[in-house]
Amino acid sequence: MLKDEKRVESITLSGRESVRLANPDVRDEFGLETLDMNMGPQHPAMHGLLRLILELDGETVVRCDPVMGYLHRCQEKIAENRMYPAVIPLTDRLDYFANMHNEHGYVLAVEDLLDVEIPPRAEYIRVLMCELMRLASHIPSLGFLMLELGAFTPILYCFRERERIQTIFEAVTGARMMFHYIRIGGVKADLPPDIPQKIWDYIEGLEQRFQSDFVDLIQGNEIFISRTRGVGTMSQEKALEMGLTGPPLRCTGVDFDIRRDYPYSIYPELEFDVITDQAGDVEASYRVRIAEALQSIRLIKQCLEKMPEGEVMGDLGRRLRPAEGDGFGRVESPRGEFSVHVVSDGSDTPYRVHYRDPSFCNMQLLQEVIPGHYLPDIMPIMGLIDPVSGGWDK
Amino acid sequence: MAVTLPEGDLQTRLESYLDGFKNRHGLEESVVEGNVVRVAVEPGFVPAVLATAREALGIMHLAFITVVDRMGSFEVHYELLDLRGGIVRVKTTIQGEEPVIDTVTNIYPTANWHEREAYDMFGVAFKGHPDLRRTYMWQDHFDHHPLLKSFEISTRRTFEGLR
Repeated sequence: MLKDEKRVESITLSGRESVRLANPDVRDEFGLETLDMNMGPQHPAMHGLLRLILELDGETVVRCDPVMGYLHRCQEKIAENRMYPAVIPLTDRLDYFANMHNEHGYVLAVEDLLDVEIPPRAEYIRVLMCELMRLASHIPSLGFLMLELGAFTPILYCFRERERIQTIFEAVTGARMMFHYIRIGGVKADLPPDIPQKIWDYIEGLEQRFQSDFVDLIQGNEIFISRTRGVGTMSQEKALEMGLTGPPLRCTGVDFDIRRDYPYSIYPELEFDVITDQAGDVEASYRVRIAEALQSIRLIKQCLEKMPEGEVMGDLGRRLRPAEGDGFGRVESPRGEFSVHVVSDGSDTPYRVHYRDPSFCNMQLLQEVIPGHYLPDIMPIMGLIDPVSGGWDK
Repeated sequence: MAVTLPEGDLQTRLESYLDGFKNRHGLEESVVEGNVVRVAVEPGFVPAVLATAREALGIMHLAFITVVDRMGSFEVHYELLDLRGGIVRVKTTIQGEEPVIDTVTNIYPTANWHEREAYDMFGVAFKGHPDLRRTYMWQDHFDHHPLLKSFEISTRRTFEGLR
């Protein structure tokens, strides 16, 4: 049993203001109390810089308290001190597995204030890049999930695909990760002439090896099933209560996708299915991500087929001064709803920028779902949410 | 148990939301613009209005809470989605330098972390919040709220003289 003064010390370190002794209900027959344990922020298996304060009863988690802020970079404050276009490269650093979606969300919010007309080709290029980004995020997230279960092979397959998509991004935008490609009014530059064919060839190849590399390799594996089936199960009510969006919400069966329900850009013109699953556990989230990756392939093909010719940049003044008011942008990032709220005071810098990042909101689930699970189940549940450090910490 | 999401024509649904707010709270300045119902309320009525949205109108999702420091007053925006194309934007203004407002965590549990973030960044005290701690900043020895306009940063740049 921890001595009282030691317990108080650990509570001060964890930043809790009120002293709460362990719940007497969880004492075992020897009268032992629970054990406080820190997981992260420098834990080798942890997703980014997250610290979980855990209260353990044996190997069962009784309480889980996520602590954030280890990667906080004051994105919102910096954005208030920059001109509107100069905020775009900052948004790349938010959720660094969904850079295109962050740029798109911010740009939509500023365009909401501006009423600028976007050339159709630019819209198609944006959606093409966003869907490639979704592939480059969903596929590695499967690899991370498997890595957390102890399987090393899938991450290599997954990162092979991500590297190839990054090579495409490099040819289009000039950067492998921090693109600064989607601009207010359009995109930075047109696609290089050989790129549509290259993307098409890549997508065709990916479609062929998808089944063997990501489905047959993982699904049906006994260890995978025993570690993920029934782990992290949540009901639809709970998922909606906790404000989940994206794959964690859809794996419970709630049929909600920003691309269809709050359409932006050219998504109304494209055909795709919203994937749902009923189980609401880690395995279901894996199935949802697999199926969504296939839908992204479908969307990329449609974009390439329907891509119109023309300009890629709308007509904007040199120095942007949006009218006073509120601009909202909302996109479906690979992790869920990414919203941006920009408040303008009529000057050339935003008065306030607020990001609603899906990693931050989905992580509230940890407090609710982890208690009652075993300690080794925490990592698969993190794989369900698939949070990104840059996202929840802004 | 499956959750039922709203169905039917978007425009009639938005009108019904508007009528719901007007009948229950007399918010005559509310309007429908596009797919958005804009509601402006006094800070004291925010929990009641959000409870109407959640329980009577069936709007399930609180997307985010934004606080804007207007130097002397604070705007708080609540963005609610009905998950089927409709948006309700509730806006309130708190006067004074030390803002206090009632929590909505008992109505929308997801507001928990959003309110913690708002408290961390602006010092808005949410009355009745179960666990009002800082999210990002240090828990101890840091008495500032960095997104306040009065929190100066050392590298403020001006763009005067640029064309």
